[in-house]
Amino acid sequence: MTEKNHFDGRNYANYFNAHRHILPNAELAWLNDVRAKAISSFIEVGLPGPKVEEWKYTNLNLLKTTIYETSEKIATENTDIIQKYALEGVLGSKVVFVDGYFNSELSDVQKQQGVVLTSLNEFISANPEHAEQVFQESKNQDSLGELNTALMTGGFVLIIDENIKLAEPIQIFHIASEKSQAKSLRLKNFINIKSTSSAQIIEYFISPDNIDCWRQNVTEVIVGEKAKLEIYQFQQEGNETIHMNQTLADVKESGNFKHYSLNIGGKISRTEIKPTINGLYGNVDLRGAFLGRNGNSHDVFTHMKHMKPEGDSNQSYRGVLDKGGKSAFQGKVYVAKDAQLTNANQSNKNLLLDRGAEANSKPELLIYADDVKCSHGTTVGELDNEAIFYLKSRGLDQKAAKALLVEAFVAEVFEDIKLQSVKSRYLELAGSWLESGD
Amino acid sequence: MTMLEIKNLHVEVAGQKILKGLNLTINPGEVHAIMGPNGAGKSTLAYAICGKEGYEITEGSVTFKGKNFLELTANERAGEGVFLGFQYPVEIPGVSNMNFLKAAINSLRKYRGEDDMAAVDFLKLIRAKAEELEMKPEMLKRAVNVGFSGGEKKRNEMVQMAMLEPIFSVLDETDSGLDIDALRIVADGINRMRSPEKSILVITHYQRLLDYVVPDFVHVLANGKIVKTGDKSLALELEKNGYAGLGIDENAA
Repeated sequence: MTEKNHFDGRNYANYFNAHRHILPNAELAWLNDVRAKAISSFIEVGLPGPKVEEWKYTNLNLLKTTIYETSEKIATENTDIIQKYALEGVLGSKVVFVDGYFNSELSDVQKQQGVVLTSLNEFISANPEHAEQVFQESKNQDSLGELNTALMTGGFVLIIDENIKLAEPIQIFHIASEKSQAKSLRLKNFINIKSTSSAQIIEYFISPDNIDCWRQNVTEVIVGEKAKLEIYQFQQEGNETIHMNQTLADVKESGNFKHYSLNIGGKISRTEIKPTINGLYGNVDLRGAFLGRNGNSHDVFTHMKHMKPEGDSNQSYRGVLDKGGKSAFQGKVYVAKDAQLTNANQSNKNLLLDRGAEANSKPELLIYADDVKCSHGTTVGELDNEAIFYLKSRGLDQKAAKALLVEAFVAEVFEDIKLQSVKSRYLELAGSWLESGD
Repeated sequence: MTMLEIKNLHVEVAGQKILKGLNLTINPGEVHAIMGPNGAGKSTLAYAICGKEGYEITEGSVTFKGKNFLELTANERAGEGVFLGFQYPVEIPGVSNMNFLKAAINSLRKYRGEDDMAAVDFLKLIRAKAEELEMKPEMLKRAVNVGFSGGEKKRNEMVQMAMLEPIFSVLDETDSGLDIDALRIVADGINRMRSPEKSILVITHYQRLLDYVVPDFVHVLANGKIVKTGDKSLALELEKNGYAGLGIDENAA
């Protein structure tokens, strides 16, 4: 515990003690225990302050004084929002959360032999022993993750048995309503893709403008032997949302884990991805882009761990920052002594559209094996005026020319996506981002 | 109506006087060639006509089809029907030729108050133009000019010109750095644009392009002004006697 570096979290503990009895599944003693242990771990450390290396670019001062109370379950919102965001032609299950609670009316969960897809609360009440085991094996690593566990209101569970390839991607909608003002929305999700199975998940994070809410989303992933998981995230929340999204992945032998993200909203967005390759030939691919302006602060934090030999990992992130936008990419690669013949690449390129924008980039390589290939690269640049004139000479106005160049800059990280509708949505959002700023 | 009328044009770049009182009138259907030594201000003239930022007009006027061109931005000038073929076409990673041209065509149509071109029509058009100019179809999918050879870049300029159908084309040293086959393609692309309604301004350092694209007028630009105007024979004379034959010091331009 480093008191100097952390804020006191005791007011959250008080809040927890006063409200623990109304949290979902509060009657289960073991779950109560899980929550209580989590809150005491959280209090022991507190909230990370700016002197904590991992949080030096993201100021959490506003969490010190304000208590974001736990969100409440609300009646079904209209379905328009789902239609607006859902990708056309994607036929798999739809799982919808409104203000931190699973909404069965808006969701469309398709049954399939060997596949468990359910809300966390239902999973806990239906399979308490299995659920208890899942929580015991949880790999939570930090104080904010503990706070999330203590106060979680739900989440989803996806377990796919051996040898099943999900034909259609699952879409998960994280919606915050107007009623989430000054609330916290905390979800805990578990994904377990067993040997030789595969799945694709598309996640949308949506909230209205001018609603000050704090979203935490923690997902623990197991990618089994020769299994494959792809996660595609779209974070397009309102200008006052605090978004904290953490993915912890345990990748087994020859497992393949891909994580794509696009961050274009929120006052603070923090995307943390912490994959660990725990078997031979593990493969991890992390890609994404963040576009920020006027008070957006985007923070991508990766911690890629190679524990076993002959693993491959790639990290590729692009940042675009306009006036008043701020970003940080902190990419850590750890290669254990045993992880010989690891191949780890990392790249972060940033584009500043204005001198009043800020991009931070901090690669960190910790390599204990001696026969590995690791690379990292970072750039910060501006738009090429010659290219802008070239486009204008062909008829594009200044704004369209800039938008096309922004899209092109971002496009590279998304170009290998095979799901066409996902890829087009990423490019569309990046391409229209400049214009949407007016 | 006159296509382009330039009167007493003075242009400064970064405080340096480049054009110093240039006059030029181009009528519909005419092909003009501007020749001149390095540093005479040839590219500056092209950029000033097309509206590049940083080219400050300190005196004079540029009128295009009766409109004061100096009030328009580069893209508005393109909307009016002007095309600039670049001496050094810019590489744009991440933007495919196809998407680039689609954005360009639809921007021009929007400027002219027309709807977007239907996707099918666009595909038909681009395939036809690429074939006419002997561009391989896979080049259309590649990022604009990225990894293109010098000749491929210039050919790409010709495909763009053919697609955008300008009424006035300014070709800035489009012939530089080309081998004879590429030169033939470029010349062919330019000749396809010739018509009684359209005008072309060819800027070149050498006479050889003019063997293929025969100009109606040849102007010699030196020290920021047009110092001599003639017909195609002037280009041949320059080829034979050099700029020194006209009393122009090529190094001190």
